[in-house]
Amino acid sequence: MMFVTKKSLARRTFLRGVGTALALPMLDSMFPALSAAPKATPRLGWVYVSNGIILDDFIPKQTGRNFDLPPILKSMEAHRDYINVITGLQHKQADTQGDGSGDHPRAAAAWLTGVHAYDRTRPGAVVKLATTADQLAAREIGRTTQLPSLELSVDVPSQGGCDSGDCFYVNTISWRNESTPNMPEDHPRIVFERLFGDGGTSAERLARVKNQGSLLDSVTAEATRLAGTLGAGDQRKLGEYLDSVRDIEKRIQSAEVEGQASLELPDRPVGVPDSFDDYVNLMFDLQLLAFRADVTRVFTFIIAREISGRTYPQIGVPEGHHSVSHHRDDPALMAKKGRIDAYHMLLFSRFVAKMKATPDGEGTLLDNCLLHYGSGMGNGNLHRHQNLPNLLVGKQGGQIKTGNHLKFENDPPMSSLLLTTLGTAGVNLDKLGDSNGHMKLEPLGLS
Amino acid sequence: MTFRWLPGAALFAALSFTASAQVPDAQMASAALKQYCVTCHNPQLRTAGLVIDPAGVNSVSANAETWEKVVQKLRSGSMPPSGVPRPPEATYKKVAAYLEKSLDTASAAHPNPGAMPHLHRLTRTEYKNSVRDLLALDNLPKEMDYEELLPADNATSGFDNLADLLFVSPVIMQRYLDSAGKISRLAVGDLKMPELVNIHHMPLQTPQDVQQDGLPLGTRGGLAIHSWFPLDAEYSFTIETDGNSRDAHQMEISIDGVRVQMIPVGGPGGRGARGAKPPEFRIPVKAGPRDIAVTFVQKDEALEESTLRLSTRGHGTLPAINEVTIRGPFTPSGRGDTPSRSRIFVCRPDNDAAEPACVKKIVSTLVRHAYRRPVTDSDISDMMPFYEAGKKDGGFDTGVQRVVERVLVSPQFLYRIERDPANAAGAFRVSDVELASRLSFFLWSSIPDDELLDLATKGRLHDPLVLEQQTKRMLADPRSEALVSNFASQWLYLHDVESKDPDLFLFRYFDGVLRGAFERETDLFVNSVLRENRSVLELLTANYTYLNERLAKHYGIPNVRGSYFRKVTLPADSPRGGLLGQGSILTLTSYSTRTSPVLRGKYVLENLLASPPPPPPPDVPALKTENETSGKALTMREAMEKHRAVQPCASCHARMDPIGFAMENFDAVGQYREMDAGQKINGIADLKKALIRDPERFVTALTSKLMMYALGRNVQYFDEPAIRSVVHRAAASQYTFASLVEGIVKSAPFEMRVKDQAPADSAKRTAVH
Repeated sequence: MMFVTKKSLARRTFLRGVGTALALPMLDSMFPALSAAPKATPRLGWVYVSNGIILDDFIPKQTGRNFDLPPILKSMEAHRDYINVITGLQHKQADTQGDGSGDHPRAAAAWLTGVHAYDRTRPGAVVKLATTADQLAAREIGRTTQLPSLELSVDVPSQGGCDSGDCFYVNTISWRNESTPNMPEDHPRIVFERLFGDGGTSAERLARVKNQGSLLDSVTAEATRLAGTLGAGDQRKLGEYLDSVRDIEKRIQSAEVEGQASLELPDRPVGVPDSFDDYVNLMFDLQLLAFRADVTRVFTFIIAREISGRTYPQIGVPEGHHSVSHHRDDPALMAKKGRIDAYHMLLFSRFVAKMKATPDGEGTLLDNCLLHYGSGMGNGNLHRHQNLPNLLVGKQGGQIKTGNHLKFENDPPMSSLLLTTLGTAGVNLDKLGDSNGHMKLEPLGLS
Repeated sequence: MTFRWLPGAALFAALSFTASAQVPDAQMASAALKQYCVTCHNPQLRTAGLVIDPAGVNSVSANAETWEKVVQKLRSGSMPPSGVPRPPEATYKKVAAYLEKSLDTASAAHPNPGAMPHLHRLTRTEYKNSVRDLLALDNLPKEMDYEELLPADNATSGFDNLADLLFVSPVIMQRYLDSAGKISRLAVGDLKMPELVNIHHMPLQTPQDVQQDGLPLGTRGGLAIHSWFPLDAEYSFTIETDGNSRDAHQMEISIDGVRVQMIPVGGPGGRGARGAKPPEFRIPVKAGPRDIAVTFVQKDEALEESTLRLSTRGHGTLPAINEVTIRGPFTPSGRGDTPSRSRIFVCRPDNDAAEPACVKKIVSTLVRHAYRRPVTDSDISDMMPFYEAGKKDGGFDTGVQRVVERVLVSPQFLYRIERDPANAAGAFRVSDVELASRLSFFLWSSIPDDELLDLATKGRLHDPLVLEQQTKRMLADPRSEALVSNFASQWLYLHDVESKDPDLFLFRYFDGVLRGAFERETDLFVNSVLRENRSVLELLTANYTYLNERLAKHYGIPNVRGSYFRKVTLPADSPRGGLLGQGSILTLTSYSTRTSPVLRGKYVLENLLASPPPPPPPDVPALKTENETSGKALTMREAMEKHRAVQPCASCHARMDPIGFAMENFDAVGQYREMDAGQKINGIADLKKALIRDPERFVTALTSKLMMYALGRNVQYFDEPAIRSVVHRAAASQYTFASLVEGIVKSAPFEMRVKDQAPADSAKRTAVH
């Protein structure tokens, strides 16, 4: 139902997938700018890769401006003016606190929270984490867009064998609040429908939006009545339901108000492409489209989830990702894990290139965003949550200086970097998880 | 991997435990605990956070959680650890039996059924089955697959139906809204239905040279598609083929067994040349569930051709179907006559005057089934504005469609709701209507049917005889297939088979068909044990399995011909009988390039013996990959031996590895081998014997998993007495699956709940008075 956009899109955008080019015709005439684009719209995106990274192939040897790009970062060569490599940070909250296994779930859980995830499967434990950085951003810079945020993944959610047993910690990196994870979308067509609606003429779509509006009104009344009969306790589940209903209701209202423009929709992508390459490209293309149409300004994207067992025969790694990550310092296995890490970066760099090629305001989308690529684990073989790989890409309308490798000593918390990242978009917080103030990114000119 | 056989004694030690019914006095237990346990588990050392007070054996209920832990360790034989003195075997068993008996007695006097959440969201599977039973709507068009309509639920501890993990977020709510719209339009038939694009992809490596299961005789290759068609309308069929042939081939499309289209492929003037636009046909199809077959007519030349060339999809020149796309509906002629419409439209108003009564009848019938309880006036008044609005837009049918849509987003459909009666205190029975839903979601993963709901509404369901009779009836109903496809497949992690990608270089004979055969074998096998009411021990020991030619070849079993699966009795010395000899389990417990005795051992301990090894400590040192003195590279096996030699690794690997090594008779895709790296292996027979030497252990493990699934919450210490009671009672009927199910249905945790709002945090409660 989300089809109203605020920005014009250039003619002939292609969503590539399933071996064919899916044309999105006539977009420029179809997506009139509904309001003047504000100066340098802030945008934030977080991209997650898992099972640690081969640190020797990620951490540049030199610091400052003149550093050689190590193998994993090679594909960012063309964009090095836009990147900052930040090393030496840790997520201490991902370490065990006497609760044993669960290094992988805790890595993903702490990544955007800086909060320790206790294993729910232990008797007496409850689901409790914290609102993630992307959702904090969505509350601010996502208030005026159709979708406050978009959560994407190209990895199959795990249905078992999640280290501690808590699969929801590894299947998402986005939490709406301390007890509600946002499960990411992994199907291109569903993502498309969330952005642009589910087909039919614009009149039919508008009718459906209106109908959904009355459905939501009606179920709100029903749920409120129900709450009265349930007694005071155990209202959390119903609260989740009502909260979700109201959230959608708000968006529908704004869709109705702004939906005067008559829109024809481009073709939808139909399936999940066979090849991982095509799949990742298609999902990133959808995110690009969402940025261009200003449907959302915040996203998270899981290229690989923790404990992912994906095999990568296309780059000569027929073994599962997780088992390769436990390389036991065997050079052959390390080389394979390094290949996976470099491959993920390559897929990401294609998105970066497209962002750079897309005009936005006075510059490009890449000028007006900040993308944060990284993982909750450094050394995956030993499950270390220290020395985390962090790559920032983009200039956020000049809010951040770029082109540096910053190496931190004494393991400062990655949560502080999250505060700084949020700050570039005008989302100013004093504290996030175990942060101790904003990260001073000298010589980035940020404090 | 090199292999050195571990002596049988190690295997038996890893599995040792035998029950005893004799109950000695408290003094003896106290003395034994004092002598053998408190050296470590005392208030000063607090080893593993556990303090045992031997004097407490007189009042175990005061500290039930601790004593259940002790029982668990004794029953799994894992304490005291190796190298520390143990009491004589007889004493050991008596202590365990005494503690169990005391705990059970205390629990029987004051049952604690645990605090069940009041709201339990339907899982995706339950939603799907509920829609099927509510609207007689199944096999949705591919574009509307439930896997795409709704996000997957969280499977933690193996099961996706745990209430506290069934979240709702705006993303999920939006999906519910969209799904309700799509499903209601499909069920009622919407003449303005937007075009659906249904792509049916032929899995790679599906043989295209032989007749396929479910497709007509005299054909080869192809796809069978079971799909719902939204309207009486035209649909476009596009068939993309791979490969080209100088010879002419015939492709056919049939609907419900009737050939509707012949398509020449290859040969002079034929279609299917590379790069050519795939042929597209407009075919009228009636609304409702249809069986579509797109396949090739078998001909002799094709056979010859196939013997000369690779014949799976994507290889060779024999034309093969790549994918079939069905678009539509186009130019609809009507809503048609579908099972859904018959189910929904329980009446048709002949005139305007009759309309209100008929609408009310349709709405009440829907709501009663969807909410699984008697209908109230406010239920009806919630629906009427939607009927009116729909009627204004498109008449009577559209009005009803909007009601269906409204029902599907109601919190009373999406959640199972249980209430505390006003005067509730402590533990009490749930209402009959609530019990009906507990029962139907347990056995069918779906809503109750009329018979069950009627009995519940009349207040008769809690009668033990009625409950037993209903349980039997429901187990016999085809809907209980959910126990196999939902419970068993989650219990055994069978979903993981699909995501396993054995290295095709090492296992060249592995392909999608073999993977499918693995899944099918286990599915049929588990189905036969569970639903033919056999002893669940047969899951480990059966002398039969289900095979087709391909799988039989893989297993080295002769004289099985053809692609269909049939029951095959195994020779007495076959290693195959039971789950542990099946390709599915053996593959999902292996890495893509090799077997893993550790994974297999862990799997058996966790899923079949309910005594999972504790998680590895946080700082597992890297495996040494070379010998310290000689610098020589170590094999994986040698590296593992070094790893196992040190504490704390040793204590757990001593339990996991012997089991895993006993399964080394099977490689990473389940092929039998007697030698590995030149060394003889012989273990699977001994392992199976060891596993059933004490049948209670396996049955307890299964019952515990089944209890968790039935309740939709983690099993906790206060459930253990109920589980033991189910197991003991099932012994008399040789542990048939039905006896376990009936035991659970009649247990306190299933029939009761406590008025207690504290969530799972009940650690401080021992019993509810």
